[in-house]
Amino acid sequence: MLEIQQVSFAYPGHAPALKNVSLSIQAGEFIGLAGRNGSGKTTLTRLMVGLGKPASGQVMLDGKPANDGGPAVMARSVGYVFQNPDRQIFRDTVASEVAYGPEQMDWSDDERQVAVDDALAMTGLIEVAQAYPRGLARSFRQRIAIASALALKPRLLILDEPTSGQDAEEKKQLMQLLGKLNGQGIGVILVTHDMEMLLEHTRRTVVLHQGEKVYDGATQELFANPSHDVGAWGLRVPDVAAIAAKFAKITGAVRSVEELAASINHQLGGKTDEKSGASV
Amino acid sequence: MDAVQFEDFSYHYPKTGTGLDQVTLSIPVGSFTVLAGANGSGKTTLCMAMTGLVPHFFGGSMSGQVRVEGQVTTDRPVSDIAAGVGFVMEDYESQLVALTVFDEVAFALENMAVSSALIRERVAEALAAVGLTGLEDRELSALSGGQKQRLAVASVLASQPKILVLDEPTSALDPEGSEELYSLLAQLNKEKGITVIVADHDLAQALPHADRMVVMEAGRVAFTGTLDEVFARMLSEQIYASAVPALRRLKAALETETRKFSPWTSADEAVAEINASLPPMRRLSLSA
Amino acid sequence: MKSLAPLCNLLLTIAVSVWTVLIWDPASLAVMLAVQIALLAYAGQLRKLVKGLLGLLMVAAFFSVIQLPFDVPVPIAVASGLKMMVMTVAVLLMLGTTRLPSLTAALVSQVKIPYEYAFMFTSALRFMPDFIAESHAVREAQICRGYVQSRNPLKRIVAYAALVEPMVLRAITRSETMAMSLELRGFGGVRRTFTQQIAFAGRDYLVLALIAVITAAVIRYR
Repeated sequence: MLEIQQVSFAYPGHAPALKNVSLSIQAGEFIGLAGRNGSGKTTLTRLMVGLGKPASGQVMLDGKPANDGGPAVMARSVGYVFQNPDRQIFRDTVASEVAYGPEQMDWSDDERQVAVDDALAMTGLIEVAQAYPRGLARSFRQRIAIASALALKPRLLILDEPTSGQDAEEKKQLMQLLGKLNGQGIGVILVTHDMEMLLEHTRRTVVLHQGEKVYDGATQELFANPSHDVGAWGLRVPDVAAIAAKFAKITGAVRSVEELAASINHQLGGKTDEKSGASV
Repeated sequence: MDAVQFEDFSYHYPKTGTGLDQVTLSIPVGSFTVLAGANGSGKTTLCMAMTGLVPHFFGGSMSGQVRVEGQVTTDRPVSDIAAGVGFVMEDYESQLVALTVFDEVAFALENMAVSSALIRERVAEALAAVGLTGLEDRELSALSGGQKQRLAVASVLASQPKILVLDEPTSALDPEGSEELYSLLAQLNKEKGITVIVADHDLAQALPHADRMVVMEAGRVAFTGTLDEVFARMLSEQIYASAVPALRRLKAALETETRKFSPWTSADEAVAEINASLPPMRRLSLSA
Repeated sequence: MKSLAPLCNLLLTIAVSVWTVLIWDPASLAVMLAVQIALLAYAGQLRKLVKGLLGLLMVAAFFSVIQLPFDVPVPIAVASGLKMMVMTVAVLLMLGTTRLPSLTAALVSQVKIPYEYAFMFTSALRFMPDFIAESHAVREAQICRGYVQSRNPLKRIVAYAALVEPMVLRAITRSETMAMSLELRGFGGVRRTFTQQIAFAGRDYLVLALIAVITAAVIRYR
């Protein structure tokens, strides 16, 4: 669906931010994008929505160059949720905020209303539809930003570190929301530093290092294979993955604490509680 | 005398009415405490109370008291308290007020009418402590996020405080940056005996460095104690349990009446102990 | 000018403005302008100001030309335009060769202006790039939701209005954090040290003497 073909990019007066990066994204994937700050992650996602033109190479959407229409046209296919929700909120009620996108489109009033209602429903914001966005907690404002992007019915949603500043419960809820959206067929690209989150929720991870793509494959394989020098790329192997890797023969492939605990408990001869993974 | 003591302290912000509820807490001198809790649980208010900004800056209503280095915070002006307590706020970028690195670090000392010679000395020391030596004339807009944060730390270190409070310092940093910051804090804690208090959501990051933890819930202190004690209670009482680092959640899930593990701080420790508990036939040969 | 004390630079700039007001001879004004541009080049400021200077030239030229239909003699019209240029470039020259914190320090300790006022200027300069970045960020967020810059100027203005609220709110939050930061660091005390080098040296007194002489000459011979 979205093809990044040998893209290179440099900000004026700086060293290249991206060097010859190629990437192919199909519909409905859930991809993690990792790498240290400055590795090119944000630059890559910006080019994916058409904010900026590659110095060489191109970004193709459904076989046509993405730059033809610019980001305003791309917005209908690829939604972008910036890291700081406050920079994206400029209306007085949640509903009118979410309506901003549809208002820019040449849709009928009915179509716009449906789009807004659907987006609010998907993100669980119907109850606060008339509230003043800035009076709500940050996690709500994050969801408003997501709903605003969803209102244009994109097929792919890119989120730039959506969990920064959020507590553990809020992170869980956000990931549940993303899982639900992905289940409905919306592709998700998650830029994150949270290794546990990558392991637990993404099937595929792309790692950037100094502007180059150094890994593109199964998330579990990224952490399980010791030949991957994740430390050099600014990443960290999540403890669950490190332990699972050592016991791979007995645990098989696991992605979360619960799964790991369940399989180890099995080996230790105990029974486990299905849901929590705790030994009983 | 503890570094910070909350004595049945309650506080309510003037407009919202939320705040802290009967907090009694002691932070020992030289400790490294991590402050945890859901958003809105009172971590930031607690930090503000340690610097005197609550109540001096915000107004509102309070009862009980807060002692910092033995003295009650309501008895002294904020700048006085700040000489002993360095505070790096969550929005550390807006905390930076000057145009260049040197000016920023010198700012507090200039305001205290300290002599130019002493200022230069202290600025050099502070920049060296955070690893920004040589950047004295750099403009703030030319610094990276991590550098700005270290600058914020340097600017509060200039007055040589005995206590350092940081409110969620790692949200904008990548894992390496966070690790560097925590190493710096650990160094200041061990080598200079500075009492460190960090509010953070990522408890796994703090795990190797902190020796005490406080969990806030709805304006009250839910638990306080060593990390092991607090993690165990978070899990057993299911308060903010999802924040417990994966290693400790795993440990709790594997322990039974008869099988207990020691408090793991790394995956390797966990692997070694789990392996030892496996039936001999299933054990892996883990060479040292 | 970079090696002069900040207050000296300020006095020099004021003196130049005074001379500009008094002098009506286009040739003299042109010479002053040429000297200033040479000084700008020497201070390494010329390249980044070229666009601005050209813009200024157009405005000054317009200002001169527009007086002609009102029967203003040509030399006077030209002189007006030149005066505008000389005064503006004088200020640019000062800002380009004097560090603002040094100027602030000089204004407070030598001219006795309250520190709080001088600090306002430094803060404004400090936060300006941040606000510009914020406005770009909000605009980009709009673009990513389908906003296309309209050719209709009224619609454009309406679109800019959408930027105002988030920026004002951000400014308020920032200022609150900044106020806390200032209070923590003892801002507003009675005494204050300035580490900036603002003292007058021999060079500065020489310049002051020159200023006095030139001013006298200008008054005498204009």
